[in-house]
Amino acid sequence: MSDAINVDALSDGGRAALERLILSLADSKRLMGIRYSDWILGSPSVETGIATSSMTQDEWGHARLLYAMLKQLDIDPVPIEHDRTAEAYANLSALDEPFEDWAALVASMVIVDGALSVALDAFSEGAFAPARQRVPKMLAEERFHVSLGVAWFRRLAAASEEARALLRAATDRQLPAALVWLAADDESSRELVELGVMPPPESLTTAFRASVRDVLAEGDADVNAYFDAAGPASDWDSTRGRAPGQPDADSVDRARGAKNRALFVE
Amino acid sequence: MSGGRDVWTGPLQSIPADPLAATWAAIDEVLDPEIPISLVELGLIYGVELDDGVVTVQLTFTATACPCMEFIHEDIEDRLALEPWVDRVEIVEVWDPPWTNERITAEGRAKLKEFGVGV
Repeated sequence: MSDAINVDALSDGGRAALERLILSLADSKRLMGIRYSDWILGSPSVETGIATSSMTQDEWGHARLLYAMLKQLDIDPVPIEHDRTAEAYANLSALDEPFEDWAALVASMVIVDGALSVALDAFSEGAFAPARQRVPKMLAEERFHVSLGVAWFRRLAAASEEARALLRAATDRQLPAALVWLAADDESSRELVELGVMPPPESLTTAFRASVRDVLAEGDADVNAYFDAAGPASDWDSTRGRAPGQPDADSVDRARGAKNRALFVE
Repeated sequence: MSGGRDVWTGPLQSIPADPLAATWAAIDEVLDPEIPISLVELGLIYGVELDDGVVTVQLTFTATACPCMEFIHEDIEDRLALEPWVDRVEIVEVWDPPWTNERITAEGRAKLKEFGVGV
C-alpha cells in the first residue's frame, strides 16, 4: 500500500477530483438506500422485506460516513446533504429512477451495489487515509448484500419465463450504466490514479467482471458483450463524474429530508 | 433508562489516585441502549485519554448506521460529566479496525449468554 497523501498539499485539480469521487460514492449510496427502502413493504416475503430494511439502513450509514469524508477537504457536508438539487447529484445513473419490479432490485444488489463495492474496495486500498480507515467496515456490511443479491438472482434466473425476462431487462439497463461509471477515464479520474487514490479504470472493470461474472451468467443477458465493450462514454459528465441525467425529484426530496426540514437537528 | 442511567454510581466524592482507570470504570457503567451490557464489554471503546481534565474517547459502533449513535454519545458525555476530574469530553468516532462480535469481552459474552444471546 502506498503512502497516504497529504490532503493539504493537493493541487486544486487533485482536491476537485477527490471531492467528485467522494460525492459520487456518497450520492450513490444515499440513492441506493432509497431504492432499497421502496421495497421494504413490497418484497416477496416478510423476511426479505426485513433484509431490505437492513440494507437500506446500511446504505444510509455508508452515505453518512462518505459525506463526512468531505470534512477532510474542508467542505461542510451538511449543505451537501441537505441543500443540493437533483441536477447536482453525482450518483451512478442506474439509480436515477425507482426500480419498477423486484427483479430490478435484485439485479441492483448484484450489479449496482456490486460496482459500488468494487470502487469502494479500491478506494480503501488507495492513498486517501480516511478511506482506508472507514471503508472496510462498509465492505464488511456489503458482504451480506452480495449474499442476498446473488441468492435472489439465482432464484429468479431459475424461475419462470416472466422472472427471467424481468431480470434480463434489468441487467440490460443496469450493467451498461455500472460499467460506464467504473470505466470513467477523464482528467479527474487520471488525477486520482496519479495520486494513488484509485487504480486505473481497467482494473475496476476487470475486478467487477470477476466478481459478478458467474452469477450474471445464469441470466439471459449477453453480459460478455457489455463487458467487452466497456470503456469511457462520449457523453460523460466530467463535472459530476457520472453519465448525463439526474435522479427523480421525489427521491432527492427524500434524500435531503425536505419534508421535515423545519425539524432538522444536526 | 438510556445508557443504564439508573445503575450509574457516580459521581465519586474525590479525585481518584488513578483518574484514567476511574474514567474507564465510569464509561464501563454506560450500557448499550439495545442490549444490557456496557459499551466497554461490547468492545466499542477503542481508547480513552485524559489530559488536564479533557477526556478523549475513541468510540466505534457495531454498524455504520447504528440508530443509537446520538444516544451513545450523550450517555458517555453525561456519565463522565458527573465526575469532578472531567471538565470536557471529546468523542472521536473511529472505524479502524472494523467492529466485529469478536471484540465483545468475556464478561460481555457471559452476560449476553445469561440473556439468551449467543455470540
